[in-house]
This record gives sequence, structure tokens and C-alpha cells, in this order.
Amino acid sequence: MLKVDRLGKKYGGRWIFRGLSFELGQGDRLVILGRNGSGKSTLLRTIAGLTERTEGTVELPPGDPRHTLGLCALEQSVYAQLTVEEHLEMTADLRGCPARIDELLGKIDLAYARDVPASHLSTGMRARLKIAMAIQANPVALLLDEPGAGLDEEGRNLVARITAEQSERGCLIVATNDPIERRLANLELQLAS
Amino acid sequence: MNYSWRAEILAIFRKEWRTEMRSMSGLVTAFLFSVVTVYAISFAALNSKLPKTVIAGMLWVALLFSAASSLPRTFLSEEEHGTADLLRLVARAHAVFWGKALFNIFQCVATSVMLSILYLGFTSTPVAIPWLFAVSLVAGCLSLAGAVTLCGAIASQASNRSMLAAAIAVPLLLPLVALGVSGMRVSLGDGTMASGGTASAIGLIGYAVATLATGPYIFAAVWKT
Amino acid sequence: MKTTLKSIFALLMGVATVWSFTVPDVAEFQAPGFARIFLWHFPCPMLFTFLILTGAWFSIRGFQRIELKPWRFEPETDAMAKAMWDVRSVACMELSYLFAALTMATGILFSEIQWGAWWSWDPRQTSFLMVLLIYAAYFALRFAYTDPSKRAAHSSAYALTALLPTLFLVFVFPRLPQILQMSLHPSDSILGGKIKGEYAYCVIFILILFFIMTAYLYNLRVRAGLAEIELDNKNERLDNGGDSAPTGVVRPVSLSE
Repeated sequence: MLKVDRLGKKYGGRWIFRGLSFELGQGDRLVILGRNGSGKSTLLRTIAGLTERTEGTVELPPGDPRHTLGLCALEQSVYAQLTVEEHLEMTADLRGCPARIDELLGKIDLAYARDVPASHLSTGMRARLKIAMAIQANPVALLLDEPGAGLDEEGRNLVARITAEQSERGCLIVATNDPIERRLANLELQLAS
Repeated sequence: MNYSWRAEILAIFRKEWRTEMRSMSGLVTAFLFSVVTVYAISFAALNSKLPKTVIAGMLWVALLFSAASSLPRTFLSEEEHGTADLLRLVARAHAVFWGKALFNIFQCVATSVMLSILYLGFTSTPVAIPWLFAVSLVAGCLSLAGAVTLCGAIASQASNRSMLAAAIAVPLLLPLVALGVSGMRVSLGDGTMASGGTASAIGLIGYAVATLATGPYIFAAVWKT
Repeated sequence: MKTTLKSIFALLMGVATVWSFTVPDVAEFQAPGFARIFLWHFPCPMLFTFLILTGAWFSIRGFQRIELKPWRFEPETDAMAKAMWDVRSVACMELSYLFAALTMATGILFSEIQWGAWWSWDPRQTSFLMVLLIYAAYFALRFAYTDPSKRAAHSSAYALTALLPTLFLVFVFPRLPQILQMSLHPSDSILGGKIKGEYAYCVIFILILFFIMTAYLYNLRVRAGLAEIELDNKNERLDNGGDSAPTGVVRPVSLSE
């Protein structure tokens, strides 16, 4: 489903990671652990194709990556002037998939804020919006970078529900330092810093 | 163009439109720039009657610098605010280019119309050949928007991106300005169609077509780096 | 062998220099003797155009990630392969700028002696200055990117974007009817068949010599660039203690946790 073979990324003269190889199938949930600066976010970005890899290969699930891959990253921002609903409309139009706005807003519990501009959302609400955009196309591979950051207990329960749904649909990679989120996974990858 | 591409391009255009209409930063800046430029030129001319070639030249210089400073914002703001990655994940490169270019074309045409009305009004200059004036302006805006959109994308990930985008766009657009001035001065009554009007109109349209035809492909090569 | 070739080349350049002073004066010019600067001026824009087209070609190859034939070393990574194409592209751009500057310098000298001013706002002079500005922006763009991979990609994109306006400024703009009327620059020397006899042979000879010199300089520049890449790679291996780098192995989470 998702295969990484001898993946390496170098910034300047320093290797962030090198020689990473793994293969994830249906139902696999991989947690990437490591201290700050160990390259967890860089690894997710490299798998998603946002950062150019220095060496190695990444085989994504077959099909259009806009549909088969979802990424919710910590440093990703949303458009301050667009409302929650407009964000989901935009991503659906760009992906060419159904918007499922009501369903997604219900899932992330933001139905009450559908017409609120992102600039008026709290950090936790923005995090939920990013999760909604990531899962909108029912991706086969879902990548979450510290999904619990900025979320309250309800938000963390949301992440757990999404993780469970993702297991039925495909595979999941979570980058985190949180020991609670670690339990979401059945596979672990420890990055050295 | 199939439905998917149209929907994607419109989604980007709609996003740009909504963002601009709610913040009004780009259009207000362009309007202010137009007013100040026209006033500055009129003040510098000290009420003397400027030759039509000079009027055409000043108008194009104002348009060039207005475009070079404001249009790259469509890409620069994506990198500055951290939203570029979201677009990279969900959108195809050509759709992003065309959506942003269309919005920049709209912004450029609005600025140029504003600038022209103010400038020709302040200098009391009649337009002798209106259709040529319109073609010079519209084709010029198409080329300006296409080239500056691309330069914005090329400079968007650099350290001094705002100044760099303008610095690399202005030299590329100098040939366009030469064609634009040539066409516009004929439209204002200095010269005839045979002495440069026709060649300028054809050149401007050709430049616009070439820029918008090659732009998406060059953009796609740098978009995901 | 290399010394012999260099000596032969130097000798031929000497022959070309002497020959350029022995060709007949051109009576049509204000300073008939100085018209011979054309022999050194003409090859420069020709090589400039050839080099920017070649540089653009290498830029396209870099984007296509075409496999390179090994130089002294094989590229170990995709990033290194792209860097090797970038070296070729930037070598062409640097040399093209050199020839553009020489074109402008010889043109300015000609302008002063023939037309009485270092700069006469002649359309041909002005349009070529625009070309110099366009490629100055190329180098400004390269300096603005610290990441080699982004620098290569973005400067290659600019090189391709700049090609069309440059070709327009060099070949089309000076030949527009309204521009031709006001230009002092000779426009039909080549196409009008005015360069013939000894002048023609001399200018072709100098063009060939310039081409050989360009090939040699290009080769040197590319070798220097590739040596830098090879050296950086070796230094990184030493700094990182060989090939060691953080790696990870996927393992199942411990059930007791």
C-alpha cells in the first residue's frame, strides 16, 4: 500500500535520516518517534512529496495522490479570510471529490463554526479543520504530524476515532512525542537525532 | 477544457477573489499607487503639456511597477503564511498557475483602467484610436500578469522574496513595455497604424499568448521543489 | 600534448589579431580603420546566443532528470545528478554573460568612434542592455537561494522564462521597420551580403577560434563545478564518519507499553 525504500534526506551537509525502509499494508498504523529535531516532520513531508528526497524511493498507493494521500501537518496553515465551509469546498473542488461538508463538519464537531473565518478559530479548531481537509477524499494513506497538538480531550478522542476509521480504509502514519498517541499504532519507528 | 480543470482553476480564482475582497489589501494598494503616481508625474511636469510618447511611456512605467510590486503577492503570501503546502497537496500545478494568473489579470486590468482614467484625465489627453488603446492595455495586462505570476512563483521560496520577485520580473517585461508604449502612443494620436500601431498590437498579443502558453509548464517544474 | 594545443591556439589567435589589422579599411564608415572592430564584435553575440540556448537546454534536461553519463564519478543521489546538470547550465550562463559584456563593450567603443558618443540610445544598444539586465537578474536569483536544489530548479525556470524575451530583443526588435528607420547600427551587413572577401574569411576564422576558446572555458568551468560537488560529497562522508547516518527500523510496538 505504501512502500519506502532506503529513503534519505540531507539538509546542507547533514543527513536528517538515511536508509529508511518500510512497507505498510491495510490496517497498519505506524508511529514515528523521536526527539525534537530528529526529522519526524521532515519524514512525513518527504513521503508526501512536499520535500524533495535526497535518495531512495517512495511508492504511494496507486491512483491520484490528491485522493489517495492525506496529510495533516503541524506547520500547515489555513487561509485566514476563508470560512470553514469555504475551505472544504475549495479542497473538494481542487481534488475533484465530493465535498461531504455536513458529514465532515459533524465528524470534527465544527458544524457550529461553518461560517466562521479561519482567523477567528482557535488553535484546536484549526487543527480539526486541517484533519477534515486531510480525510475529505477518504485517503488510502493518512499522515498525521502531532495530531493531538492544540487539541483538548474531545479532540484527542476525535483523533482516536479517525485512526480507527483509517485502519479500515488503509494505512496511517503518525509522528508524535505523545505517549498516548503512541498507543494508536501497531508499528513503531524510532528516529535518532 | 474538461470540467475538472475548469472547476480547479475556478476554485483557485474563487479563493484569491474571496481573500482579496475580504482584506482589500491588493486593490487598495493598487488604487493608492495609481493616484500617487499620477499626481507625482503631473506635479513633475509642472502643468506643461507632455508629448504623447512621454505620456504613453509614463503610463506604462507606472503600470509596470504597480504590477511588479503587487501581483507577485499571490504566491509570496502563500509561502509567508504557510498555506503553500496545502495547495501542493490538493491542487495540480497548472490549475494553480491558471487560477492565480486569472486573478492577477483581473487585478492588473482593474489597476490599468484606474490608472488610465486618472492619468488621461489629469493630463487632458484624448484617445485617438480607442480600440488600439484597449488592445494595448488588455494584451499588456495579460502579458504582465502571466510573467509576473511566474516570477512570483520562481522567487517565492527565496530569502528576500518580495524585492527579488520585482527585480527579476521588471527586466523580463522591458520588451513588453517597449511594445506597449509604441502601441499606446499611436492610440493617443502620435503616429499611424502603419508606423508602429499594427506591429505593436500583434507583438503584444503574441507576447501574451507566448507567456501564458509556456508559463504553466515552467511553473509546474518549480512548484513542488 | 595539451601544452602543444594551447600553443597552437595562441599562435592562431596571434595570426587572427594580425590579420584583423591587415584587412582593408571600410570606406563607408566615419573612421574607416576602426570598422575592423566588427571582426571581434560580431562573434560575441553569436556565441552569447548559442550559449543561452545551450544553457536553456541543460535546464530542461535537469528538470527531466535525464540520466547523465558518468563524469569522473557517478552521481550517488538524484540531488547530485540534478546538481551536475545545474553546473553545465550555469557554466553556459556565465560564459554567455561574458560574451554579452564583450558585445556591449565593443559596441560602445564603436559607438564612440563612429557616432561620437559612448551611448547614443540606439535601439540596438538599448535592447542589448535590456538583455544584460535580464541575465543579471538570473545571477541575483541564484544568490538568493541557499539550498542548492532549489537554486538549480528556480534559476533553470528563470533561464527558460528569459529565453523568449531575449530572443525577441536580440533578433526581432532591432529589425522592426520603425526601429530600423531610427537605428544607427548596421543591420544588413550579414544578410545583405556586405561582408565578403577577406573580411568574411577573417570574421569566420575569428568566430571559429572564439568557439574553440568557449569550449575550453566551458570544459574548465564544468570540471571545476563537478570537482566542487565531488569534494563536498567526500567532506560530508568524513564529517559524518563514513556512511553512518541516523536510520530507523520499523518494529512492532511492545504490548507491555
